[in-house]
Amino acid sequence: MSHDTLLDLSRWQWALTAAFHITFPAVTVGTSVFLVVCYAMYMRTDDEVWLRMFRFWRRIFGVGFTLGVVSGIVLTFQFGLNWGSFAHDVGPIVGVAILMEVVMAFFLEAGFLGLLIYGEGRISRRMMMFSACMVSLGTMLSVTWILVANSWMQTPAGYKRVNGQFQPVDWLHVIFNPSFGIRFIHMLIGALVAAGWLICGISAWYFVKRRHLPIARRGLSVTLGVLSILVPLQIYVGDSVAGGYVAKYKLPQLEAMEGNWNSANTGENVIVIPNQDAAKNEWQVTIPWLGSALGAKDWSGHTATPGLKLTPQSVRPMMLPTFYGFRAMWWPTVLMIAVVLAGIALRLRGRLYSARWFHKLLVGLVPIGFVAIWAGWVLAETGRQPWLVYGQLLTADAVSPLKPWSVLTSLTGFVLLYLALLGTYVWYVVRAVREGPGDGPLAEPPAPPLRSEPRPGLAPVG
Amino acid sequence: MHLSDGWMIFVILAFTMYIVLDGYDLGIGVLTLFERDERRRRDMFGLVAWLWDGNESWLVLIALTLWAGMPLAAGIALPALYIALVPMLWSLIARGVSLVMIDQRAGWPPLSGRVFAISSLLVGFCQGAAFGGLVAGLSAHGGSFAGGPFEFLHHGYAVLTGVTAVALYVLAGCAWVYLKSDGETQLRAARVGRVAVVLLAAGTAASWLLVPVAGSTTLDPGAAARLPVCIAGTAVLAAGLVFALRSFSDPRARRPGRAPVFATLAVYAGGLLLAGGLLYPRLVPPDITVHAAASPHTALLFMTIATGALIPLILTYQAYGYWVFRGKVDLKQEATTA
Ligand code: HDD
Ligand code: HEM
Ligand code: HEM
Repeated sequence: MSHDTLLDLSRWQWALTAAFHITFPAVTVGTSVFLVVCYAMYMRTDDEVWLRMFRFWRRIFGVGFTLGVVSGIVLTFQFGLNWGSFAHDVGPIVGVAILMEVVMAFFLEAGFLGLLIYGEGRISRRMMMFSACMVSLGTMLSVTWILVANSWMQTPAGYKRVNGQFQPVDWLHVIFNPSFGIRFIHMLIGALVAAGWLICGISAWYFVKRRHLPIARRGLSVTLGVLSILVPLQIYVGDSVAGGYVAKYKLPQLEAMEGNWNSANTGENVIVIPNQDAAKNEWQVTIPWLGSALGAKDWSGHTATPGLKLTPQSVRPMMLPTFYGFRAMWWPTVLMIAVVLAGIALRLRGRLYSARWFHKLLVGLVPIGFVAIWAGWVLAETGRQPWLVYGQLLTADAVSPLKPWSVLTSLTGFVLLYLALLGTYVWYVVRAVREGPGDGPLAEPPAPPLRSEPRPGLAPVG
Repeated sequence: MHLSDGWMIFVILAFTMYIVLDGYDLGIGVLTLFERDERRRRDMFGLVAWLWDGNESWLVLIALTLWAGMPLAAGIALPALYIALVPMLWSLIARGVSLVMIDQRAGWPPLSGRVFAISSLLVGFCQGAAFGGLVAGLSAHGGSFAGGPFEFLHHGYAVLTGVTAVALYVLAGCAWVYLKSDGETQLRAARVGRVAVVLLAAGTAASWLLVPVAGSTTLDPGAAARLPVCIAGTAVLAAGLVFALRSFSDPRARRPGRAPVFATLAVYAGGLLLAGGLLYPRLVPPDITVHAAASPHTALLFMTIATGALIPLILTYQAYGYWVFRGKVDLKQEATTA
C-alpha cells in the first residue's frame, strides 16, 4: 500500500515536472533559431526592423530560457532523489548521456547567453552573431543528448547487465539505439513547429491590432513559410515513428494507442472508453476501413490492428493516456495542416496580410504546438510503462525508499511553485507583447551596470 | 592510479568551480538583504544577472559527474538528503525567476528583491546542510539508502554546516563586490566581509571537530598518509582567513581591490584540501568509497576522454565572458552622494 502510494506520488512528480520543463525548451529551441535568422538578416541588410525583431524576441526567449534552466535542474536532481536505484542501475549509460549534454550543450548555451542578452555595445556585431549561433547550437545539442538518453530507455541496446547495473559494451550501439534517430528528428521538428506557431500567432495579433506592421509582416511571412514545410514533414516523420519504431519495438504501445483489445478491428477508433481491468471498451466510436489503411497501409481494408490482449496483463500499458495522448497530438496536427494550406492559398491570392479572420485564427493557435508536444510525451512515456528501461527494468523497482509524505510535500511545493511560474511567464509574455517592439527611434540596448569604459588591467577572476 | 581516482578530479573540479563561482553570486544575493539603498541594490543584482546561469551549470555538472561516474553514491546520497535538497531546488527556482523579473523590470520589485535575497540564503544553507549530512555519515544497505528521512540532520549538526556555508558564500560575495565596486559600496562589503570571516573560522573549526560526535564517520587526521595533507590544508585555510581579514581592513589595498578575492580563493583551496585529507577515499561516509561507487571502466573511459577534451573549451569561453564584462560597477549615484 505504502509502496504503491510512494510510487504513484513519485511518478506524478516526475510527470508534472518534466511536462513543465519541456514547455520551455519548446519555446527556446525554436526562438533561438529565429533570433539567428533575424540577426543574420540585420547584418546583411542593415535594416533596423530586423534588429528590432531580434531585440523583441530576445526578451521572450530570455525569460523562457531561465524557466527552462531552473526546471531542468529539478529534473536532473530528481533522477537520484526519487529514483535512486534507477540512478544506480542506469548511471553508466543514461547518466553518461546526460553528462554529455551538460558539457556539450548546457555550458555552451550558458556561456554565450550572457553575451547574447547583455553583450550589445560591448561586443562586435560578428561576435553577437556568433553568440546567437552558439546558443542555438547548444539548444540543439541538448535535444540530441536528452533524446539519446530517453531513446535508450525506450529501445535499450549495446549494454550488458552486471549485478543489475546496465554497463555499456558498445557506445555506438548505445548512442545510435534503434529509436534515437527518428525520435530526435520528430522532437526537433516538434520544437520548431511549436515556436513557429507562437511567433506566428503573436505577429498575427499585431495585425489584428494594426500595430508594428513591418515587424508583424515579416514574422508572419517567415513563420508561415517555414511551417508550410515543417508540418507536412512532421506528418511523414511521425508516421515513421509509429510504423517504423513503435510497431517494431514497442508493440504493446501501438495496441494501446489504437484503442483495441482484440486483434480484429480493421477500423480506426475515434473515441474509446476503456476498462483496463475488464480488458474491454465500455464504449467506442469507430470509422470502418481507416485503421487498416492508415496503420498497416493496406488500402483494401483487410488488415486488423493488433489488440492489447496480445500483451500479458501485468505488462500492459494504460490504454487511456496512450490513446488520448496520440489523439491529442494527431488532431492538432490535422488542424495545423489545414491552417497552413489556407495560408498558402491566401498568400497566392495576395491576401495574407489583409485576411483578418485568418489573423484572429492564428492568435488562437498560439498554444497548439505545445499541446502536441505534451501529448506526444505522454504517449511515449505512458506507452513504455510499466517499464522504465523497456523490457528490462520495472518502474516499480526503481523508486527510492522515501516516505510518502516527503514526496507528497515536495510534489505540492513543485506544483504550487510551477503554477506561479507559469502564470508569471504567461503574464510576462502578454505584457511584453502589449508593450511591443516599439515604433520610436531605437533605444539603447540593455546593459549590465558596468562602467562603459572597462578599465584595462582588471583581470577576470575565478 | 585507478581510472575512478582520475574521474574524481572532474568531480572535485566541478565542485570547486561551483562553490567558487556560484558561491559569490549567492553571497551577493545574501548581501542585498542588508542593503537598504535601492540603487546600490540594483547594481548588485546587475552584477549577478548575466552570469548566474553559467555558474549554475557547474551545479548540474556536480550532479552528473557523480551520477554518471559514481552511480552508487548518487543512488544512496540523494534520497538520503531529500529533505535538504528539495528546498534547495525550490529556492533555486525562486532565485532564478526573481532575478529575471528584477532584470526585466517586471513584477513587483520589492517582492522580487526579497525573494532573491532569501532564496540565495536558503540555497547556501541547504547546500551546507546537505554537505554536513553527507560528511557525518549516511546509512546504506544493499546499495540503497537505509536511514530515516531526518538522519542527515545528525542532531542538528547539519544546521551548523548550513550556517557555515552561508558564511563562506557571504565572504565570497563580499570579496567580489569589493573588487567590482568602490566608495560606499566597497566599504560596506568590507565591513560585512570581516564578520563573515570570523563566523566562517568558528564554523569550520566547530564543524570538523564535531564530526565524530555527530555521526558515524570517524576521522583519523593523524594517519600517516593523511597528516601532511591535513596540515597543509589547515595552514592554507588559516592563512587565507587571516589574509582576508587583513585585506578587508586595509584601506590602501582598496584599488583595484583584488586581495580579498585571492584570500577567498585560498580559503576554498585550504578547505578542500582539508576535506580531502580527512575523508578520501570515502565518498559517502562512513562506508562507500570512491572505488566501490565507480562506474565500470567502459563508461569512465568514454566520459574521461569527452569531458577532458571539452573542459578547456568551456573554461575558455567562460573566461571570455568575464573578460567582456570586466570593470567596476557603474555606480551612478556616486557622483551625487560622494
Ligand atoms: C527538447 C529537448 C529537451 C528535453 C526533452 C529536455 N530538455 Fe532540458 N533543456 C533543453 C532541452 C530539453 C534546452 C533547450 O537545452 C534547455 C531549455 C532551456 C534551456 O535553458 O536549455 C534545457 C535546460 C535544461 C537544464 C538547465 C541547463 C543549464 O543549466 O543551462 C537541465 C539541467 C536540463 N534541461 C535537464 C533535463 C532533463 C534531466 C530532462 C529530462 C528528463 C530534460 N532536460 C528534458
Ligand atoms: C521532457 C519531456 C518529457 C515529458 C513531458 C515526460 C513525461 C513523462 C510522463 C508523463 C511520465 C509518466 C508515465 C507514467 O508513469 O505513466 C514519465 C515517466 C518517466 N520518464 Fe519522462 N518525460 C519526458 C522526458 C524524459 C526524459 C528525457 C527522460 C530520461 C532521460 C525521462 C525519464 C522518465 C522516467 C525515469 C520516468 C519514470 C517515472 C514515472 O513513471 O513517472 N523522461 N515521463
Ligand atoms: C500526424 C502526425 C504525427 C504522428 C503520426 C506522430 C506520431 C508520434 C508517435 C507514434 C509518437 C510516440 C513515440 C514514442 O513512443 O516514443 C510521437 C511522439 C511525440 N510527438 Fe508526434 N506525431 C505527429 C505529429 C506531431 C507534432 C505536430 C508534434 C509537435 C509539434 C509532435 C510531437 C511529439 C513529441 C514531442 C513526441 C514525444 C517524443 C518522442 O517520443 O519522440 N508530433 N509522435
